[in-house]
Amino acid sequence: MQEVVLAASLLAIALVVVAFVKVLRELGPGERRWSGPEQLSRLRGRILWLSMIAGAALALLTLLPWPHAVPTGPAVVSVAVRASMWAWELDPTRVPVGVPVVFHATSGDVNHGFGVFDPSGKLLFQTQAMPGWVNKVAWTFTEPGRYRVLCLEYCGLVHHGMMAELEVLPRS
Amino acid sequence: MTPLAAAVRAAPILEPTRLALVSGGLVFLLMMTLGLLMKATQAGFLPLEPRAFYEVMTAHGIGMVGTAGLTGVAVLWHFLGRYVELDERVFWAFLASFLSGVVLILGAVFVGGFAAAWTFLYPLPAISGGVWAPETAVVYLAGLALVGTGFLLLHLECARALRARWGGLAHALGWPLLFRGAQDPLPPPAVVAAAAVTVFNLLGLVVGAAVIAISILDIVIPAASLDPLLAKNMIYFFGHVFINATIYMAVIAVYEIIPEYTGRPWTTSRIFVAAWSVLLLFVMAVYPHHLLQDTVMPAWTLAVGQILSYGTAVPLVAVTTLGLLSQLHRSGARLDLPAALLVLGVGGWTAGVMPAWIDGIVAVNKVMHNTLWVPGHFHMYLILGQVAFVWAVLLRLARGRDERGLSASDGIVFWLYLLGGAGLALGFLIAGAASVPRRWAVHDPAWIVHDVPGVLFAVMVLAGAAGFFAKAVPGLLARGAAQARG
Ligand code: HEM
Ligand SMILES: [Cu+2]
Ligand SMILES: [Cu+2]
Repeated sequence: MQEVVLAASLLAIALVVVAFVKVLRELGPGERRWSGPEQLSRLRGRILWLSMIAGAALALLTLLPWPHAVPTGPAVVSVAVRASMWAWELDPTRVPVGVPVVFHATSGDVNHGFGVFDPSGKLLFQTQAMPGWVNKVAWTFTEPGRYRVLCLEYCGLVHHGMMAELEVLPRS
Repeated sequence: MTPLAAAVRAAPILEPTRLALVSGGLVFLLMMTLGLLMKATQAGFLPLEPRAFYEVMTAHGIGMVGTAGLTGVAVLWHFLGRYVELDERVFWAFLASFLSGVVLILGAVFVGGFAAAWTFLYPLPAISGGVWAPETAVVYLAGLALVGTGFLLLHLECARALRARWGGLAHALGWPLLFRGAQDPLPPPAVVAAAAVTVFNLLGLVVGAAVIAISILDIVIPAASLDPLLAKNMIYFFGHVFINATIYMAVIAVYEIIPEYTGRPWTTSRIFVAAWSVLLLFVMAVYPHHLLQDTVMPAWTLAVGQILSYGTAVPLVAVTTLGLLSQLHRSGARLDLPAALLVLGVGGWTAGVMPAWIDGIVAVNKVMHNTLWVPGHFHMYLILGQVAFVWAVLLRLARGRDERGLSASDGIVFWLYLLGGAGLALGFLIAGAASVPRRWAVHDPAWIVHDVPGVLFAVMVLAGAAGFFAKAVPGLLARGAAQARG
């Protein structure tokens, strides 16, 4: 996911740069008559239509199915996550591989961010851990190993020290 | 005119918007130095303790956002004053309220150790784990309230003046043109933009004032309590609207100054009016994109947040970016330093909006939210957008127009600033894509590769910015003296 997002963003930024460089290279000499307004409104119309169609397609593609959907049923493993300054309590701390796991995150004091990182240090998913509310997030781990939980919402002095481990067990 | 007012008029450096821009420029430099301190700490070059780091982070965040607000309203006031009758006393009252708030905020952070970050996310200010006293949080929040009151006053005066001159905000927004196809007199782009910003920033400030007041009450009256989810909604509504307003106010400089270089009028068209009205709504309705990881939020609000993140980028590109490019194309314009900075500002803003709206996709946000991706996009559209506009106006006021274009030294500071800003922002983006969290005083050894180049880029930005400032200030003083004599 992250690689695709980075590549798409760099591409979009590059398009902006190219448009500016192109126009700045054709800055002058001035034409007698400025055909700008008509040209501009034609180009603008095209860009508007194109961006609306592309936007609608993107919205459908990325919102269906709903990214925060949480599975239910007997196969689902639940983990209770409770954050407080500055530690995580996970129950249980071991989950099986290949099975949907639903994390129920809440907090005993301020806002924290429940972020799960794979053994290589890549962020897999996150949700906010907030006092008075329980946010649910689902994930199916595909590899066994030791995963790290880091805090992703600033929560004061030891925010960066708020870590825990989650063990994903191989199929028995 | 009283003798004092006459003396003020005779010394343009004491003209309030100039004063605001010059002090804003100076504070930008100071706050950039704090940014450099943070980067150097994360890179392992400096031994800033976490406690000091988070104080500096809070000061840098609120200092930058506040200064963007200060300079944004100075640009707004300066150009809006060409079309409507503004009461200068209100700007002085704004400055007084703003400054007294700043004193409280600085005291809370550097004396009281307040370090809940500029967003004061409830209930962190009150619950610090023993790091700062709840009273200190009250001082910080009271400081914010004073700063906010200043902005409220100022926008109320803009609203009054716009209504007095254009017969209502709907007219200043250009709605007769939009809905009836004609309007006489036509409000110029600066007026349309000013009217839109005034409306949405007023609403944002009112919500901000409410959540600040409740946060204070919550500390003072132990029995009181606020729903943390509601507080989060209010804070991000206010914060999102406010920081956006700083850019939308500063961009007025582009509409006002660029036509002088291209010789082509920037007129209010129907699409221009439509874009600004759509934006007025979208800027407010899009704020749930800050809550995409609060799955207890109603799903439709998050879906709206995602769709409108994209939706706000479209009018920006359609009107301001394409408008600027068509102004420039084959115009024969000779760009001097202020004009080059205005062009950079539109480009940097447009570029920075790309990673921002992509981050507004729920599925993307799940792995990018609160990583360095976020400072990545906002540093791009702030350093290379809002702040570039401010340097442009400052230099323009100081030096007027330079028919010869960019001098060699102008070119050096310009490119230092551009390359430094782009490098810093891209470095943040790459670190975010590599899952480095934001707001961490101590970085994992594996992340330091991302921080080291950032230090160099930060020095470049700072050098470029100091160059702009040094080029502007003597001009402002000399011009002030010249005008006082003449
Ligand atoms: C030399 C230029 C700058 C440098 C080196 C710099 C550096 C930084 C760093 C290192 C952070 C903390 C990132 C983290 O979460 O780990 C940060 C945060 C931030 N910066 Fe900058 N910055 C610069 C300019 C600016 C400007 C011009 C603005 C706005 C006008 C700005 C606004 C902010 C804000 C709002 C934050 C968020 C603070 C928070 O997370 O609470 N910065 N900056
Ligand atoms: Cu935490
Ligand atoms: Cu935290």
